[in-house]
Amino acid sequence: MSKKLLHKTQQIYLIFAIVIFIVIAPIFYIFSRWMYINNIDETLVDYKEDFIEKMLPKLTEENLSVWNNFNTTQQIKQYYPIKRDTIFYTTYFSEIEQELEPYRELETPIKIGENKYIFTTKISLFESEDLIISIAFLFFILITLLLIVLGIITNKISIKIWKPFYENLAQFEAFQIDNPNKLHLKQTNIEEFNRLNLSIEKLIQNNYIIYENQREFVENAAHELQTPIAVFKGKIDILMQRSDITKGQAELLESLNNSIARLNRLNKNLLMLSKIEKNTLNEITSFQIKEVIEKQLEFFKEQAIQKNIHIESHINSVINITANKGFTEILFSNLFLNAIQHNVINGNISIYIAKNKLTISNTGISATIKSESLFNRFSKISTSEKGNGLGLAIVKKIVDLNNWSISYSYKNNLHSFTITF
Amino acid sequence: MKLLLIEDEQELAKSIQEYLNGNEFVCEWTNKFSTALDKISNYDYDCILLDLMLPDGNGLELLTELKKQNKTDGVIIISAKETLDSRIEGFNLGADDYLTKPFHLSELLVRIQALIRRKQFSGNNIVTFNEIEIDLQSKTVKVNHKLVEMTKKEIDLLLYLIGNHNRVLSKGAIAEHLSGDMADMLDNHDFVYAHIKNLKKKLKSANAVDYIKTVYGLGYKWQNE
Repeated sequence: MSKKLLHKTQQIYLIFAIVIFIVIAPIFYIFSRWMYINNIDETLVDYKEDFIEKMLPKLTEENLSVWNNFNTTQQIKQYYPIKRDTIFYTTYFSEIEQELEPYRELETPIKIGENKYIFTTKISLFESEDLIISIAFLFFILITLLLIVLGIITNKISIKIWKPFYENLAQFEAFQIDNPNKLHLKQTNIEEFNRLNLSIEKLIQNNYIIYENQREFVENAAHELQTPIAVFKGKIDILMQRSDITKGQAELLESLNNSIARLNRLNKNLLMLSKIEKNTLNEITSFQIKEVIEKQLEFFKEQAIQKNIHIESHINSVINITANKGFTEILFSNLFLNAIQHNVINGNISIYIAKNKLTISNTGISATIKSESLFNRFSKISTSEKGNGLGLAIVKKIVDLNNWSISYSYKNNLHSFTITF
Repeated sequence: MKLLLIEDEQELAKSIQEYLNGNEFVCEWTNKFSTALDKISNYDYDCILLDLMLPDGNGLELLTELKKQNKTDGVIIISAKETLDSRIEGFNLGADDYLTKPFHLSELLVRIQALIRRKQFSGNNIVTFNEIEIDLQSKTVKVNHKLVEMTKKEIDLLLYLIGNHNRVLSKGAIAEHLSGDMADMLDNHDFVYAHIKNLKKKLKSANAVDYIKTVYGLGYKWQNE
């Protein structure tokens, strides 16, 4: 599944922000705590030095208990062997708070008179925990705000930067090879975009040349075939006038006649396709669909009689269209012909017009039609000799040319083609 | 009637000549623009059949030349090129009809006949074949001076058959004639049979001779007995 570019950047940004939070938050907490403890330790050492320098010389073993009584944070204890300056965490029970309070304590061996003692000094960490949490919380808020603002700005910038890209993208999507002049790419001051535009323009130009060459080839080939077909047709017309034609020869001639007629139809249809592809969007007039259909029906009813096919029409709305009338006539005659050709004896054809939709349904042989290849050139539905595989391709071309849409469905033994105008 | 055929495809020209020469027509042929130019300056033709793409010139210039010389020869363009532009340009330059290749020779013949009729008779325009009379103006048919009800299509078919009398006409050719622009699409010519049958019936009930003969495997023929 592909995602939108903007969503992708947003997603990456969000993941990035969460990762930063998860990684940075503990690091920050640990670091700021370490800094604070470090600071406390230094203070403890200061206290000790201050004591050793100012108090210790005045202290004697006699006034030791008095000194201890007057000091709460500093005490002199009985000696036990320790290294110099040991700093550690400890807890004391607070009478005021009625709970254990965390402390940082320093112990160092001292000498009073001839005897060894241990000097301890401590600082409560009770306040500091709160402080660290407050700092961390503030930090969180700042980081969050920063990330949000940054995110919004990145988003805004992305939208602005990618805007010409999306505009051009929409043009590429709407682009049709038979109409290359409609591409007006937006120039930007971003080198990569301009390079992309340039290469796409080049690509389109090349493709257009190839397309145009191919179209011209088909057109020229079909045109060139007209003359030999004309000669062939003429010779058969002459040959048919001979009075000494036998039954067998007559049958051969009939089959030749049918073949040449088929070849001629095929050729005319190729010419028609190439004419539509040339997209001569001139001679556009406004008219009613009904008017075209009625004109065509008159002719096709006669064709339908041969198979005893019943044609009914339900025209429930008026559809006005602006298009090339000739092409529109060809569109409907191809659809009608299709409905007759692939119908059964005593079959039905119904024409529905409702809102902006027109549906032509016909009874016919069972439905194993690949609808996706139905409108391709030379994709034959049945193995019968009927049709040359170009009729529906022409229909599709005309529908595309006018930006209409066509769909095929098979329901209740009815083959239906629906055109939405 | 004198016709001039300007066509560079020799085999097609031969077929056209052969088909037309049997009728009341004398058909001259040239495959060169220059010869054609000489001929139209020196002679008057009832009808000129003009191919647009000639090896030494454009057929349309010949139309300009005709106009310049104030000639009133009828011109039918026969071209493999069928674009609306060339059609409009042809008509604007004074062509009377436009037939796209490939065509049936029988179609060409009735087009020539129609053109000559238009050029020769102004107003009273009646085609007669023995006891049958077709009034093109009022679109009516009389057999032995008695009116016979006929549809537009039946009159069209009748004219086509009479125009090509004593010629074998294939079902395909008749179908193409009757269906006009739609002709390229049809692959079923059975409807021709129905039309022929109706026409035969109407002519028979009006006591006309049964001119329409079925030619086995080939089609139909209007035969003057």
